[in-house]
Amino acid sequence: MVLAFVLPLLRVLVLSVTDPSVSLAHYRRIFTTPLYLHVLSTTFRTSLVVTAVCLLLGYPLAYVMARRGGRLSGILLVAIGISFWTSFLVRTYAWMVILGAKGPVAALMRLAGFSPPQLLFTTFSSMLGMTHILLPYMVMALYAVMKKIEPGHLRAAASLGAPPRHAFYHVFLPLSLPGVVNGCLLVFTLCLGFYVTPVLLGSPQDMMISQVIAQQVEELLAWGFASALSVVLLAATFVVIAVYTRLVGLDRLWG
Amino acid sequence: MFPVAVALVVAVFLIAPLVIIVPMSFSTALSLQFPPPGYWLGYYRQYFTDPRWLVPTLNSFVIATATMLLTLGLVIPASFALVRHQFRGKSAVNLLLMAPMIVPLVVSALGYYNTLGRLGLAGTHAGVILAHTALSVPVAMLAISAALKGFDANLERAAMSSGAGPLRTFWWVTMPVLRPGILVGALFAFLHSFDETVVALFIAGRKASTLPKKMFESVRLETDPVISVVSTLLFLAVVLAALGALLVHGRRDHAA
Repeated sequence: MVLAFVLPLLRVLVLSVTDPSVSLAHYRRIFTTPLYLHVLSTTFRTSLVVTAVCLLLGYPLAYVMARRGGRLSGILLVAIGISFWTSFLVRTYAWMVILGAKGPVAALMRLAGFSPPQLLFTTFSSMLGMTHILLPYMVMALYAVMKKIEPGHLRAAASLGAPPRHAFYHVFLPLSLPGVVNGCLLVFTLCLGFYVTPVLLGSPQDMMISQVIAQQVEELLAWGFASALSVVLLAATFVVIAVYTRLVGLDRLWG
Repeated sequence: MFPVAVALVVAVFLIAPLVIIVPMSFSTALSLQFPPPGYWLGYYRQYFTDPRWLVPTLNSFVIATATMLLTLGLVIPASFALVRHQFRGKSAVNLLLMAPMIVPLVVSALGYYNTLGRLGLAGTHAGVILAHTALSVPVAMLAISAALKGFDANLERAAMSSGAGPLRTFWWVTMPVLRPGILVGALFAFLHSFDETVVALFIAGRKASTLPKKMFESVRLETDPVISVVSTLLFLAVVLAALGALLVHGRRDHAA
């Protein structure tokens, strides 16, 4: 494991300060060039928005699955499972068809009488694709915690005279918070390093950091600079996880 | 009920976009056009006869199978050590084994691209298998160590006290109880490798190109309509597996 994983990672660290010569120039360049600052802020903004939308969509879904049980919950679980296990390339491709210039959305818009705007290769399409792909992770994280919430607590609240809305806000919501934190951490960190979907669906003007890393190596062979960007991405991921560990504890991640 | 309605809408949002690729695979259109102008099976024939698609498909199966076996060979002993024994540096080992899950894939990919290149393993099956194994360890580890944590060690003690040696106990008592966990771990490792795109893009090269790499390139560079066939086949495989799991599960519930 040390050989197969740590060594390649260390090489990235070393390259970031030695290629082509020993210096911290790459890091200085990242933090002083407007283009790279823009990339960093795009990456963080995109990850925040995607995480928030996933939470907004995922919470009711997980709630219904955990509270209803029975056939409905089974059907929803299968829907999430199918989406989760389908390769994300397949899911990205599906969005290319849907949002493409000859796709169904554009056709419907033309039918309604106005000319469709550019949908594909925009920040919107990239975020939509990422949300679609990461949503199952959020739902799983939420569901794992919600499933363990004792229904008796809610009944107790109701028997003490709390209307359903109060019972939800004061009992269920606080108890489900660990799931919210887990899900957000998972989606946010996955989103920070997302590569394939932004490349295929996103706009070239709003690149995520992973795209820049790949571009630097593949097109410019700029190993040192790509490595420095990787170290920045890695550091950002670690900071997010460190904050989480402080707040919750890493061992809680696996329930 | 409001939450149920929202939940159903979200579930439709998850599934509906995938269903659209099925009619696409029968389309006669050369580019992304929906609804399709006409239907035929031509792109299926093309997929099943074109070595540019078949070789990556075969590569993916070979690499995923080898990754699965290698991962199991590492993870089974490792989870025994981590679950059953206390030793110095245990938490460090634990963290190390989980690290590939935390480190962004592009960063790992960059590291492999550079390191495997130096070792002369870039663009070879062995290189991809090695990288995929490291990345599959955490997922398989989670499944297998969960099974091991739930294992009642008294079963082993009973077997030993009834005169079975450690090897026989392991083979006839420990393994059968852990089998479901190990199977799930194996499945995770296989699928993880089969679906993995980013690292494969960097290191697989021409010769060891995997199916996801080929799909990515075809979408990005040429939008080869065969991609819709491959996507449909992959999607239907998942749907069939889900229905199969549901059937088995239903029967088990029924029996219980």
